[in-house]
Amino acid sequence: MMQTVQKESTQIETRLRTQSTFNRIFSTLGVYGVAVLFLLLGIILQISGVINNFLTAQNMLNIIDAVSLLGIVAMGMAFVTYSGHYADLSVPTTMALTGIVCVEMLKYGFFPAVIISFIVGLLVGGINAVAIGKFKANPIIWTLAVNYVSMGVIRLVWVNKQIYPDLKASSVKASVLFDNIYRFRFFDKIALPMVFLIILVIVCHFILQRTKFGVQLKLTGSARNVAKFSGVNVERVISIAFLLCAATATLGGLTVTSLSKVGAWYNGAGYDFKAVTAVVIGGMTLAGGRGSIIGVLGGVLIIGLMNNIMTLLGIGTFSQDMIRGAIFILVVGLNAKSLRSQGRDDA
Amino acid sequence: MIDRYRIFLLFIVVFLFMAIFAPRFFNVFNLTTIMRTMAMNAVVAIGFTIVLICGELDLSIGTIITFSGVVGLGLKEYLGYGGSVPIAILTGCGIGLINGLLVAKAKINSFIVTLGMMTILQGAIYTATGGNSISLSTEDAFAVSDWLSKMILPLITPRVLITIGFIVFFTLFMRRTRMGRNFYMVGGNTQTAWLAGVNTDGYKIVAFIISGFTAALGGVLFAMEGSAATLKLGDTSLMYIVSATIIGGTAMSGGKGGVFRTFIAILMLDVLYNGIILFGLGNEVKIFIAGLILATVVMYEAYAAYKHDKIVGQRAELLKELNTKHGK
Amino acid sequence: MSDTVDAVAIGLAFEMKSVTKAFPGTVAVDMVDFDVQAGEVHALVGENGAGKSTLMKIMAGSFNDYTGDVFINTKEVSLHSPSAAKKNGIEMIYQELSLALPISIAENVLVGRLPKKSFFLDKEKMNMETLRCLKMVGLDYLDPMTPVEEISQHEAQLVEIAKALGNNPCILVMDEPTSALSQEEVERLFEIIRNLKKRGLAIVYISHHLPEIFAIADRVTVLRDGKKIATKNVSEVTREEVVQMMVGRSVNEFYKHEAHTQKEETLRVENLSRFGFFHDINFRAYKGEIVGICGLSGAGRSELARVLVGLDDSDEGKLYLHDKELRIKNMAHALENGIAYLTENRKTEGLALRLDVRENVLAGLIPRHTKYGVYNQRLGTPLLNTLIKELSIIPPDPNRTVNNLSGGNQQKVLLAKWMACDTKVLILDEPTRGVDIGAKMTIHQSIERLAKEGVTIMLISSDLPELVALSNRVLIMRQGHFIREMQKSECTEESVLLAANGEGGE
Repeated sequence: MMQTVQKESTQIETRLRTQSTFNRIFSTLGVYGVAVLFLLLGIILQISGVINNFLTAQNMLNIIDAVSLLGIVAMGMAFVTYSGHYADLSVPTTMALTGIVCVEMLKYGFFPAVIISFIVGLLVGGINAVAIGKFKANPIIWTLAVNYVSMGVIRLVWVNKQIYPDLKASSVKASVLFDNIYRFRFFDKIALPMVFLIILVIVCHFILQRTKFGVQLKLTGSARNVAKFSGVNVERVISIAFLLCAATATLGGLTVTSLSKVGAWYNGAGYDFKAVTAVVIGGMTLAGGRGSIIGVLGGVLIIGLMNNIMTLLGIGTFSQDMIRGAIFILVVGLNAKSLRSQGRDDA
Repeated sequence: MIDRYRIFLLFIVVFLFMAIFAPRFFNVFNLTTIMRTMAMNAVVAIGFTIVLICGELDLSIGTIITFSGVVGLGLKEYLGYGGSVPIAILTGCGIGLINGLLVAKAKINSFIVTLGMMTILQGAIYTATGGNSISLSTEDAFAVSDWLSKMILPLITPRVLITIGFIVFFTLFMRRTRMGRNFYMVGGNTQTAWLAGVNTDGYKIVAFIISGFTAALGGVLFAMEGSAATLKLGDTSLMYIVSATIIGGTAMSGGKGGVFRTFIAILMLDVLYNGIILFGLGNEVKIFIAGLILATVVMYEAYAAYKHDKIVGQRAELLKELNTKHGK
Repeated sequence: MSDTVDAVAIGLAFEMKSVTKAFPGTVAVDMVDFDVQAGEVHALVGENGAGKSTLMKIMAGSFNDYTGDVFINTKEVSLHSPSAAKKNGIEMIYQELSLALPISIAENVLVGRLPKKSFFLDKEKMNMETLRCLKMVGLDYLDPMTPVEEISQHEAQLVEIAKALGNNPCILVMDEPTSALSQEEVERLFEIIRNLKKRGLAIVYISHHLPEIFAIADRVTVLRDGKKIATKNVSEVTREEVVQMMVGRSVNEFYKHEAHTQKEETLRVENLSRFGFFHDINFRAYKGEIVGICGLSGAGRSELARVLVGLDDSDEGKLYLHDKELRIKNMAHALENGIAYLTENRKTEGLALRLDVRENVLAGLIPRHTKYGVYNQRLGTPLLNTLIKELSIIPPDPNRTVNNLSGGNQQKVLLAKWMACDTKVLILDEPTRGVDIGAKMTIHQSIERLAKEGVTIMLISSDLPELVALSNRVLIMRQGHFIREMQKSECTEESVLLAANGEGGE
């Protein structure tokens, strides 16, 4: 009787071990696995004639162009989520604000305008950093409030007007430079935003995985108090996360404003949701301390592929919204469920 | 002590300020306007407050408002108000049910569920209306709106009565019934409530259904107000209601707060916005001020907690010792 | 259910026969017989992993797949759900508080059974019923409408007990009820328990703390490896015999530490105060010595430690490390200077439960293993492996999530974290709280080794045998002041306890 119990228990042990290894592989590579699945889906649909032009170089570049902007913003958002503070909901207005400030400041030249924009963006990030890092305000409510305040500022100062870079610029050169933020291409193919994204991915991945800040951020995201009791300067670490998020939001704001060629209060709308979706689909849990930048890039790619396939299938923008919302819930739910079954409680 | 009555004090201060300084504030017409706008938001805020008390978050209320407004008006020509309004409200309850199930049964974070639902509904609204707002052009278009605005007593219209009715009902419900207090317990310590036999999943689902219900009700009232359901109907509501609920003292952590306090906070905010308009400042200022107040309240609470943490555990006898030592 | 209890409860209140519960891979409880009489306190002891917590969970109705028979008042029952357990009169009191903080005492105590009068709550009845429960624990001076977050920690724990008592149980199971209590609070708790005994309640008392068991229990049952080893009357067995049954080998629990001779001063504190927490602290500590700090709860020991290590700011006073004045700005600064603190709350402040052993143990070394901002995690591997081996962390897997380790192993990981840091002064706060005998021994051995290597250890502990055995001298702290210093020769459990209470001696 004991022997059968022993045998059973070793069998079960082995099964448990393989299951946990499987889960581990699945979660890290899983994101790219899903991305590959979407790719396959696109290919299948193309082969079966349902859609055209999926597997063309142009289409692939289109996808990458579309997600570059999202990817830039998602990089910074990832730091905030990783720190255990869910999301920075002030990103949309930070994008709009820095964009419109840049356009306004073009009258002093291109580079001064960009520098001023970054200062403004980092100021907003700094406000978030102090409130959430030092005073432990609720991140969702606080960044939501900052979002409204920023929106108010934009609409107050520019009174709902839209301003145009070519009109504001001090010189033609400045205006052209600004336009080129979005439009410049290396070798006529590789857009500048994509280059930004690639550089950001490499840099951010390195920061998160290999630097003291990244490791301390992981500890802080996992268990804030424990980090404090281990000598980590928790306030500083969280502040840096929010500043990074504001920085990428600024870059994204400049890019999206360049894209739309107009400084306005609605640039950046919806990017909070899109960025959080990418981050979460990419494997970062809302509870913090888990996931990777490469994963987030995977999430961005998945969203890009998904949008592209839906557009090629002829699904309308708003229906796409519905599907995106549903998938968002689904992905997070499944992720949380699989983590829970492993015995880790999470978002 | 101050904390508990903070919102009442705030309200009185704001009201007095406006009454004294704002031009054309203190007259029947203006006060009626305030009552009218307040009525609709107050109703929606009831549900949001209850969800927050349970320890969850419902970010989809803005879109539920818009969606049910669209449904309520859109179906009117086929079913009349008697048909379209109940359907709109049922739709809201249905959405709340889905939210509740996803949060309680599938155990997905409510931030995620309601954020996703909000996006889904945004898409649904545009799909359903084809991008156009719905407005009524028949003679009876404004009939309901007018009826609701008919003054029975000074300042009291049927719309206000409906609102006050719901407020009174839910306030009593949350404060004085067993079911109401159980909501607080579910938010205060879910595990304990469950172990004690309280059906925590059920309560959360009901909370979301109530939220959907009140949002739908608000949406229909909004829509009938202008007899038009624009696609931006509920857009500003989310921020507004979140602000009011938090300012009123309902904490995000759950287990604390109340429907009546949220109501007073809504009143206060409405008086404030009204005053701002009367001062000649524009719409943009409203958004700014709303955000500013919310930020201030959140910061205030965070700062108070921060200071409290520093001195918690201080012993009185030791402090007394200090005084005598330094007094010498 | 209440009539089963109010009817005079005599004889066998609870009995388990051949109860077994298996998990994939282990048999946690193996054919255990266990019974409790009405009006008795029956202690349940055993190392971590012996099966105590599983047995307790069976009683709580957490499992629906145990085998064996369970009888309540000689009637056979099945405890297949928490509500079944409750219906049969079993109430549990866990270590972690189950109260909801923003909510009133009354609503907490009466959760799930708020009395109502037609549609509304019956406020009067609520008040009366709550006071009735509070009276049983001596808390009837509290206003039932007070939110729980406004009363003290100790009062909250008593409310927890009042809540359990309010359900009129016939069996009360208490899990480590004294782990966070001071001596006087323990005494008050024992008084309450004695009263409950008189009322015919059967009490199962689970604890690691042998002196307490010998003070309050009537019988003791020892579990080891899932099996029951023996059940004895407390009056008929000695502490050593119990320990021997628990561990299965002859164990010398106490260590005789050689007299300390090194005279090189490492730490000197002058007039250190943090207003409202402790005032006017003066002491010196030397290389290689273990200084015990003893005091009742509220004496300010942990608060002192936190200031020494930079987590809180002092309001006045000076600190000298190796005779050089040091103003500690924050914890990182303290760590740089070789001062570290092992917190008493290992789950909330000590260990990141979701991370693995490696990340936890190396957490304090992050700054040291960083060059130009880049952190090299491989640098810590040899040290990590050494520590895992020395402390016998089981399973010896650096990638194991800490949450999946037993309490004793978790505490070892926490100790490893600070051992890795090359400290000069290590402040330990309750280093073996909630830890089984085997782990305790290992931890004590490591503490001694550290001292031998020259580390100054400050040992804050309410485990008197541990304190007396390990310390070279003991500083008595009371109400925010150091009132006395006792050399090893004067220290016995009794003398130290008396001193901490402000009596005895000079």
